[in-house]
Amino acid sequence: MTLDVRAPEHPRVERLEQVWEARPGLLGWLTTVDHKRIGLLYFFTTLAFFAAGGLEALLVRTQLARPNAHVLPPDVFNELFTTHGVTMIFLFVIPMTIGAFGNYLVPLMIGARDMAFPRMNALSYWLFLASGIFIYVGLFMGFGPDAGWFDYVPLALKHFSPGPNVDFYALGLILNGISSTIAAINFIVTIFKLRAPGMSLNRMPLFCFAMLAVSLALIFALPALTIDAVFLELSRKLSFQFFVPGHGGDPLLWQHLFWLFAHPEVYIIVLPAFGIATSIIPTFAKRRMIAFPLVALAELLVAFIGFGVWAHHMFATGLPTITLVFFAAATLMVVIPSTIQVFAWTLTVTAGRPEFRAPLLFIGGFIVFFVIGGLSGIMFAAIPFDQATTDTYFVVAHFHFIIFGAAVFPILGGMYYWFPKVTGRMYHEGLAKLSFWVSFVGTSLTFFPMHIVGLIGMPRRVYTYPSGLGFDSYNLIETIGAYVLAVGLVMVAANLLWSRFRGPFVGPDPFFGGTLEWTIPSPPPHYNFAVIPTVSSAYPNWDEQDRAVDARKLELGELTYESGHETPTSSVRDGALDEVAEMPSESPWPIVLALCAAVALTMVLLSHYAIAGIFVGLALLALAGWHTEEPEPVA
Amino acid sequence: MAVFVATEATLFGTIFGTYFYLRFHTTNWPPRGLPEPALTAPLILTAVLVATSIPMQLASLAAQAGRAAATRALLALALVVQATYFGIQIHLFLDDLDKFSPSGSAYGSIYFTMLGAHHAHVAFGVLIVLFLVLRLGRGLTRYRTVGVQSAAFYWHFVNVLALCVAATQVYAAL
Repeated sequence: MTLDVRAPEHPRVERLEQVWEARPGLLGWLTTVDHKRIGLLYFFTTLAFFAAGGLEALLVRTQLARPNAHVLPPDVFNELFTTHGVTMIFLFVIPMTIGAFGNYLVPLMIGARDMAFPRMNALSYWLFLASGIFIYVGLFMGFGPDAGWFDYVPLALKHFSPGPNVDFYALGLILNGISSTIAAINFIVTIFKLRAPGMSLNRMPLFCFAMLAVSLALIFALPALTIDAVFLELSRKLSFQFFVPGHGGDPLLWQHLFWLFAHPEVYIIVLPAFGIATSIIPTFAKRRMIAFPLVALAELLVAFIGFGVWAHHMFATGLPTITLVFFAAATLMVVIPSTIQVFAWTLTVTAGRPEFRAPLLFIGGFIVFFVIGGLSGIMFAAIPFDQATTDTYFVVAHFHFIIFGAAVFPILGGMYYWFPKVTGRMYHEGLAKLSFWVSFVGTSLTFFPMHIVGLIGMPRRVYTYPSGLGFDSYNLIETIGAYVLAVGLVMVAANLLWSRFRGPFVGPDPFFGGTLEWTIPSPPPHYNFAVIPTVSSAYPNWDEQDRAVDARKLELGELTYESGHETPTSSVRDGALDEVAEMPSESPWPIVLALCAAVALTMVLLSHYAIAGIFVGLALLALAGWHTEEPEPVA
Repeated sequence: MAVFVATEATLFGTIFGTYFYLRFHTTNWPPRGLPEPALTAPLILTAVLVATSIPMQLASLAAQAGRAAATRALLALALVVQATYFGIQIHLFLDDLDKFSPSGSAYGSIYFTMLGAHHAHVAFGVLIVLFLVLRLGRGLTRYRTVGVQSAAFYWHFVNVLALCVAATQVYAAL
């Protein structure tokens, strides 16, 4: 299967293998609490949703390729572009960066054996899967969400959307939000408490800073969406009047709450990608990241300032001028920490001895697209310009450059970069570079013309357009670009799939990375680290002395914690060793609880409130059962 | 638990935010024809509930000191008061529903949603304490001690919420 490059079986290592052995078979996967398995579950599930969202995009683009086309009926078109947005944001990008990359890598990068709350980790995955299935069942039944990914009222209220489409949207997002909240709590506690001894906060990898910023942002942003969705469902199901002007409500309430969540959300989308970029750059530039503390601070600041800019999505709604000016100013401010990071990345590459292998190429593409997308973004801070271009394709161009360029490109680069760690094999470098160029060209062809066609007046979310307005050729190029991009992405997938089974075996550290995940075998053993590493810098894998000391500790049994299912905890600021935590092994409660929650919300969808209540009760019983599984006291 | 409380606190932040947003978009609050919130019973009840923070905190300290019986007794005391509070509040809630409806006005909508969300959090808190009282019947372990500490923290949060909800009720009655 995979080349065993582990140390010869030391009795302590054997004991660790025994204690941390995974339950076999399907049941093992359904009850897993291992962060690596959960990361893989997230990875494959999000890839499937990426393909679905991509297919939706291709269908949308095919419909728009020619004027007055009728490839799809208009109501299906509405479902497709809405579900495309919902899928890509809630079912692909966030779960991929946080659930897949975050879950798999954070414990490895901080020298821990798992996340702080392994069962909660599993719960967040099953809830996420349930939310995706929930929304797609709606789509396949012909009731896909169809009011746009931001689902404005009054369109989303019962009067204009009588079918269950919007209910699938709102309830699906509530489920998804619970999943993300739980994941965020887990990351915050893990990052604060489970770092290896000596890993003070200023020695923590920048990827972990990004995860911390993202998790804090999720904690404070998700409630706004959750309550908005709750208000919407109460309005739709029980005729509550939050959004109806005649009864004291206000349609703008939906927008305020939505964007209070959704603006931080876009930083949540992009911050982990920054984290991936700051992991890849030092490795391939072969030097430390320039201005490390500034970059760490910038990551946290982007998340923080991002909470103060939400109404820049509402410049065309008739808010008072003083309000608009405040938000325009805040929007200009938020650019600053992002720019600091761009300078740091670029300077690190130019000041190093860069080796442009595929991961670094994708990061190069990311920087190009992020700068272009960022420039079009700042343009929106000019209120008159925003009011002229709102709801045109100029906006679509901006956010796709950011989301595709600045979130997806790092994800693709990260897939290549960590592929050897997860599989123990190397991807095909030539094909990888080609896949980059095809994707780069495809992305540019698809999204750049949207700037132009938006400026000459093409609105977004239109089902078709008349000929003779100057839109035709741009739309055709965009559609061709979309297909080229699809080819590039298929090349990435093919490369990884083929290499998984036929790629050459590699050792634990093929790229000479600086962070701890490169110190352990590939693929990592279940217990991650035989010896919990001692850390004295931000690039522990480049500290040969420390690593030699760790090897000697295996003999002495120091920091090996092999007597039980254990990992050490440490203090928040300095990473000084604290107490030893006993970790849970496989448990059925997470999937059971997720199932009860999903059924309960389905019953709400169907307006069977009493049955929904019963399932909430069952979920609470599952939660109680969960807490009867106690750790054995640590000797 | 602290991080969980942070997110739930934000949830209530958005609820209170919505309350005042709607209030400042309306001339009459409550709208004409709707009763102002009753103050006497809710304020007394809130005071009683907030007082349960004392036995909860004492239980947390007792658990950390290893005194199982004391912990259990204090939790049971808190539980009785909290459950009674909850029962009476549900009665008052249903009473309110007879007087005016959440679907008649935005005021009604936010009033019942705010109270409903708070009562839901109280109910969950009652269930947590009940669970702990039952589990402690089998002895005090480190895991259960952390459970008691977390539950105490959660209840302090719920009690602060109760004060905030009471404050908005007082505001509406002014």
